[in-house]
Amino acid sequence: MKLLFFRILAVISLVVASFSTHAEVKHIAVIYAEGDDPAQQHFTGPLQSIDQFSGIEILYLALDDPDDPLLVNSSLLLAQRKAIIKLATAGGSIGPIAVFYPDIGEPYRSVFSKIIEGIEENADAKVTRYAIGNNFNAETVSSELKQRDIRVIIALGRNGLHAASALDKNIVVVAGGIVSVPASDERSSTILSLAPDPALLFAKLKSLAPKTQRVHVVFDPRQNAWLIKLAREAARSQGLELLTYEAGDLKNAAAIYNSIFANADPRHDALWLPQDSTTVDESVVLPLVLQESWARGIPVFSSNVAHVKRGALFALYPDNIELGRNLVASAVGLASGNPDVRGVLPLRNVLTAFNTRTASHLGLTPSPAQKRSFSLLFPEQ
Amino acid sequence: MQRLRPLSALLLVTASGLVAAQPLTEEEDLAQAYGDKNFVSIATGTRQLLSKAPSSATVITAETIANMGARTVSQALEAVPGLHVSRNNLQNIYTPTYGMRGILTGTSPQVLMMVNGIPRTSVYLGNPDEQMVELPVDNIARIEVIRGPGSAIYGADAFAGTINIITKTADDIDGTSIAGGGGSFDSWDTWFQHGGRHGDLDVAAYFKVGSTDGQRRIIRHDAIGRSGPVNVGYDSVDGQLDIGYGNFRWRTSYTLRRDVGTGVGIFGALDPTGKIRSERLSSDLSWSDANFARDFSLTLQAAFMHLANEVTTPLVVIPGGVDPTFPDGMIGDPSKWERQARFSATGVYSGFATHRIRLGLGHDNLEIYKTRENKNFTLLPPPSQLPMYRASGANLFLSPHERRVNYFYLQDEWNFAPDWTLTGGIRRDLYSDFGGTTNPRLALVWEARHDLTVKLMYGSAFRAPSFVELYATGNPLIMGNPNLRPEKIDTLEAAVTWQVNRDLQTSLSLFQHKITDIISQIGDTYRNGGKQKGHGGELEVNWAATDNLRLTGHYAYQKNTDETTDHDAGYAPHHQLYARADWRFGSGWMLSGQVNRVADRKRAWGDTRPALPDYTSTDLTLRSIRPRQGWDFSLSVYNLFNADIREPSRADSGIIYDLPLPGRSFWLQARYNL
Repeated sequence: MKLLFFRILAVISLVVASFSTHAEVKHIAVIYAEGDDPAQQHFTGPLQSIDQFSGIEILYLALDDPDDPLLVNSSLLLAQRKAIIKLATAGGSIGPIAVFYPDIGEPYRSVFSKIIEGIEENADAKVTRYAIGNNFNAETVSSELKQRDIRVIIALGRNGLHAASALDKNIVVVAGGIVSVPASDERSSTILSLAPDPALLFAKLKSLAPKTQRVHVVFDPRQNAWLIKLAREAARSQGLELLTYEAGDLKNAAAIYNSIFANADPRHDALWLPQDSTTVDESVVLPLVLQESWARGIPVFSSNVAHVKRGALFALYPDNIELGRNLVASAVGLASGNPDVRGVLPLRNVLTAFNTRTASHLGLTPSPAQKRSFSLLFPEQ
Repeated sequence: MQRLRPLSALLLVTASGLVAAQPLTEEEDLAQAYGDKNFVSIATGTRQLLSKAPSSATVITAETIANMGARTVSQALEAVPGLHVSRNNLQNIYTPTYGMRGILTGTSPQVLMMVNGIPRTSVYLGNPDEQMVELPVDNIARIEVIRGPGSAIYGADAFAGTINIITKTADDIDGTSIAGGGGSFDSWDTWFQHGGRHGDLDVAAYFKVGSTDGQRRIIRHDAIGRSGPVNVGYDSVDGQLDIGYGNFRWRTSYTLRRDVGTGVGIFGALDPTGKIRSERLSSDLSWSDANFARDFSLTLQAAFMHLANEVTTPLVVIPGGVDPTFPDGMIGDPSKWERQARFSATGVYSGFATHRIRLGLGHDNLEIYKTRENKNFTLLPPPSQLPMYRASGANLFLSPHERRVNYFYLQDEWNFAPDWTLTGGIRRDLYSDFGGTTNPRLALVWEARHDLTVKLMYGSAFRAPSFVELYATGNPLIMGNPNLRPEKIDTLEAAVTWQVNRDLQTSLSLFQHKITDIISQIGDTYRNGGKQKGHGGELEVNWAATDNLRLTGHYAYQKNTDETTDHDAGYAPHHQLYARADWRFGSGWMLSGQVNRVADRKRAWGDTRPALPDYTSTDLTLRSIRPRQGWDFSLSVYNLFNADIREPSRADSGIIYDLPLPGRSFWLQARYNL
């Protein structure tokens, strides 16, 4: 059962990766054995969220025998619809996994504990933990990895990734738990960033504030060029106009925020605060942005959960256990030689934090179903 | 253009030019997704709940409790603004009493204590626990304390305030731990805790056993002029089981206190031999469907409780050779058995755009179904010594009685203009013994700015007379009065919460209340008649000074006057100042220090003793904060400077120098997370 779950997640991961790099994929077939039917509930959730993308249709094919003509017929059916058929396969063991994580204290340590919990739940082989501190010795660890026949590393945090980058290039490295990746450590192949996927952010925005037509974002291209590229596509598919402003320093950013608020239309505009240490300054910019957004009735949403407590309308933040599971699935994909899972990927395992006070001020009333989907509600009282 | 000023000002501030971002550290990087150190535990924790109605509320989380080093609920509650924990001075048995906003009486029935929203109240005295139960905190997720009236939602006794203890669920625990601890007064305890998902069931389990000899501070002068140590030791067993299955949740809780000492003795005469046993079993089943119908959520609940308070070694009320009427002394073992059944339905309708309607109804059956008393005396005229006998009829302290309550309530949260909400609520309670009572509540909330909220609140509340006040027998000098009405309170409050900046939050609450129909002993029985008025306020500050240092503090002031005598109502502190610093250091260590100043406790009318001395208590706790697995340690020093802490006795108790509380004491605990 555990193996099956692991395989299914691997498939989903491959599917997501295929989608992100091949916009022409229109149909996704999920083929599984009838005997595994009860396990379907494990992957319907993620697949349904994929299904929400316009132009994507998911077909479920339950087979009692893999040689069943149904597979052939289905393939024909897809071909008749002029679909491009790509097969994403998963399975087989990638052997034991090493997890590198930063040796830092609480409370951030809990973040990694939860991610590792997800990794352990999803891995079908032994998971060895390495807390990476100042005394990390690449040679010693390399020989230990060889001894244990470990060929796959899940590297968490900047320190975890930095340490993994120093190892033998043949070792497969999947990284996670990082917002911004230092250029020197980008050798790694797959990085599941902590930056929430703009597609999910925009979908949430549209569902909570349906009248929104334009989203403003101020970003430092050195940090977020990759994310803004994704955001443009995501905005287009949601029917939103994304107005992007590049700023290389705080002074520039402040001037841009100033002009955004001067010209914004409260009925149709919203402001997105990405994870950007240049343009989203916590102590000076944020209080004033929140004050202006309140005064002018412009929704502000964020990629940092703490901003919701301070008055942003909502934020998406990491579901650590799910992220851990996803890291394993990516590792399987990468180890199986699938090139589609390479690169920096945005965070799709997210939870929602929501500020009811701000919503009420903006005249927004989430539906009961939406309310139930919020994992954190502010203000606390 | 006016509104553009702040951001324009920012341009000036930053005009000196800024260099490109420096490389981020690990924690700075994570902070961009999870928030800073003060926030990350929220982002990795579980869902929060919205409040049921606007109020002046304080939430004490499990983390705060751990930082304080609190081992019991009463220790944790001392950190709540406007709340002071004192000790039972009606029976002098050291049970904690909770004074809120200056309303502090012998057994504090004016504060409603609930566990998961279900009252812990025993109808005997109207307080949560007659005996020294001192609930442990290990299995508590948070404690929500509301100052001011809550009867419009919670019914009886949500009078001066409401304390709701929320126990941990499988999500909160998420793993298995075993722990053991020991400390001063030959105290030890050990416990086991587990939370996890087993098939379709969410299971949380907690079991604890412990024992303490209790502090042994000296009573210099008891009711009969003797001196000796207080007797507050006990053995304890606590167990809780919480099982969730789909929409159902079943919770069961067991509390046993055995060989409980009698404090200074129920008559104020030290009684080192008397022992009491208190056993409580409660269980509730609830079914909740957030989507019962379109825009309508529904919760149904049935709750049961059985409480046995039994004297296991007879109490020596007065020893032999003191009173010539009772040459062998007065010895007795008054015991009572109580059971309660509560059924309720609560619905919330959110289908209207600007209204959110909460409605509920319920039925409670509260009963003392058995009482027993063997004694060697009678107080019926003529009072005399007798051989030990089983009392009955008028000679028994209380005969069995039952109370049935039906109630319904309605509350509307009306968002009548942007940033303005008016919450109106009303609850009608029908009691089988004293009749009906209706209690309204009105709250106007204005979200004045993005960082400022203003509230204006009015509410009325009632306290139901206890069975002792209604039905006591056995002593012609203090008889129950079945014609009593509930005590009433009307409260007006104003509150402002201001998020000064990211790191500093402050709030101010002001209140004024008027109490009528106060039940007190007048002549040979209990009567309504007392009046009291009070006013005051609480100022709270919460400051994240640095990433690793958080400072919290409050100042509370109250002045309550007994209007029948125009004298201070007594007992409760007029001024209370509290500060706590939580400092995170090294890799996974937390050092917390708290200072609590309790000042200006006047004597009640007719008490000519000098005012109770002020005191300042200081506690220190060092603990490790480890990941999920492995060892965790905690070391606490309470009352570090050995201050002489005393809580007030009653003037007529004969205990002249009040009730002393422990001097410096220690506690060391180790916990292993499997």
